[in-house]
Amino acid sequence: MRRALYAFAIVLACVAMMQGAAAAQCTLHSGARVVLYGTSDDPDVFVWDSRFRMRAYARGSFDQARALLPHALLVEAGTRARIVSCVAGFVESKYSDRPDDAIGIVIVNGRYRGRGGWVLQTDVRSMLRHLTR
Amino acid sequence: MFTVFLVIVLAVAVQGAFQTRASIAQTFARQSRIEQAQVTLEELLRLQIDEENSVRGYILNRDLFYLQQYAAAVASFDRKERDVRLALEAEHLNGALTTLDQYATLQRQWRTQVAQPMLARPDRSMEEIDKQNKAFSDYENRTADAIRVALANTNAALALSTQTQINQTLYVRAFWLLVFGLMTILFNAYGSRVSKELEEERTTTEILQRAFRSQHVPLPNCEVGSAYLSASSHLAVGGDVFDVYRLSGNLALVLIADVSGKGVDAAVITAFIKFTIRGIALRRRDPGAMLAEFNTAFAQTVENPYLFVSMFVGVLDTQTLQLRYASAGHDSAFVRRSTGVQQLAVTGPVLGVMEEPFETKTLFLEDGDMLVLATDGLTEARDRSGEQLHEEGAIRLIEQGSMHPQPLADELIARVKELGGNTMRDDLAILAIRVRDPQVSDA
Repeated sequence: MRRALYAFAIVLACVAMMQGAAAAQCTLHSGARVVLYGTSDDPDVFVWDSRFRMRAYARGSFDQARALLPHALLVEAGTRARIVSCVAGFVESKYSDRPDDAIGIVIVNGRYRGRGGWVLQTDVRSMLRHLTR
Repeated sequence: MFTVFLVIVLAVAVQGAFQTRASIAQTFARQSRIEQAQVTLEELLRLQIDEENSVRGYILNRDLFYLQQYAAAVASFDRKERDVRLALEAEHLNGALTTLDQYATLQRQWRTQVAQPMLARPDRSMEEIDKQNKAFSDYENRTADAIRVALANTNAALALSTQTQINQTLYVRAFWLLVFGLMTILFNAYGSRVSKELEEERTTTEILQRAFRSQHVPLPNCEVGSAYLSASSHLAVGGDVFDVYRLSGNLALVLIADVSGKGVDAAVITAFIKFTIRGIALRRRDPGAMLAEFNTAFAQTVENPYLFVSMFVGVLDTQTLQLRYASAGHDSAFVRRSTGVQQLAVTGPVLGVMEEPFETKTLFLEDGDMLVLATDGLTEARDRSGEQLHEEGAIRLIEQGSMHPQPLADELIARVKELGGNTMRDDLAILAIRVRDPQVSDA
């Protein structure tokens, strides 16, 4: 009886851990080619030199955010990039219930080609494979 | 009591239904206001984008049209912002109001810090201003999202509240339906029981009526008519009684009496009167003595000191047409002769009050004379204006009436009913006996 209880507890713990791991996973992976695009109303994207500053921009007041602007590039919508890293659920905002992933990218075209930085997962669109060739 | 309870229950149910309806209507009105605010908020965001697009358009084309567009969007933005603010204030969404303040402040800052510099120097490189623009845009969108969420949550809460109220209404209706159903079943059961009791009572009353009913028997050389009308419309018995009873071949007992009171209680006394007088009359032939003996028996039998009886007792010899009579306070006794109607004298006090002797009087009737005995329902009959008929009126009715006893009795009843507008104040009994002289008949 006791063994059965232990086994059941271990199974529960494994399930919980798997679910936690699934929740913490990024949907985009390193090496993936993407297009930077914000929203249809405001399509340009900020590329930050640090994911922590990006988080501070999302979390802080407007005045605090403005003070951080020198650390961001404003890239045009449609700029292509390659993903180099991802931190799942890193950016939390007081206006949003769901945390956003921080995506590390390298810009591959446009005036900022070759520059690296961090963008929000919501500012990234995956490219279809045939377009990337 | 039961009916009052039902009425109260019904009133409570109706009031509750109206209250629920008002409450649901109020919730719907609030929901409608919230939905309108949601629409206005989206229009506000569209105007914000219009402002930004107008600035961009001017920078790209230098067309003054875009400046007009910009001015129009600014004016409309302020109006819409006021509308959203009013809706949020009405719903007491203080958190959303604060966010709206932030949003409006950001948009005004954007106008001074981004839009105006861009419009003033459209040819200048504006990388920093573009960044500022993007930051404003990001923050305004976030605050607008927060207001959106607040409105959507409130709307959802109201929808839930409406659903809850509708559910409660259904439960309450089901409850009242159950209450009314039970009430109806109880009421029906109670009604059936009462109906059964009434039926039993009616059967009992019919049996009693048959026992107590006044009656007359045919007498030689006489034509007899009678009529009876009870003041209790559903009963054929009351406090009046008459009786015609043959004591021997020639002698007949003639009786009419009026007991104070009405209904079944009085009818029981009348039965006592009828059978007691018959019993006395079989032993005594003197009407005054009959009344005296009855007076003693009445006082010993009836315990109610407020009950009294007026009575006329006569012994009629149908051969000689001699009528010996005594009247205990009974003044509605008349003889109709060819010369007119004569009221017969009272010969003693009413019965049940005091012990006094009752005088017996003798009267010789002639061929065609009619003895008309009535109770006080005749002389005390009132017309619609309250005027009493009195003895004079009764005499006049008898004089004008039919020559035959039964038609006369029926006429007197009809006239009294007609006088009172079909409303009887007191019981009324009529007994009429028309005598024929056997010698005249033989001749």
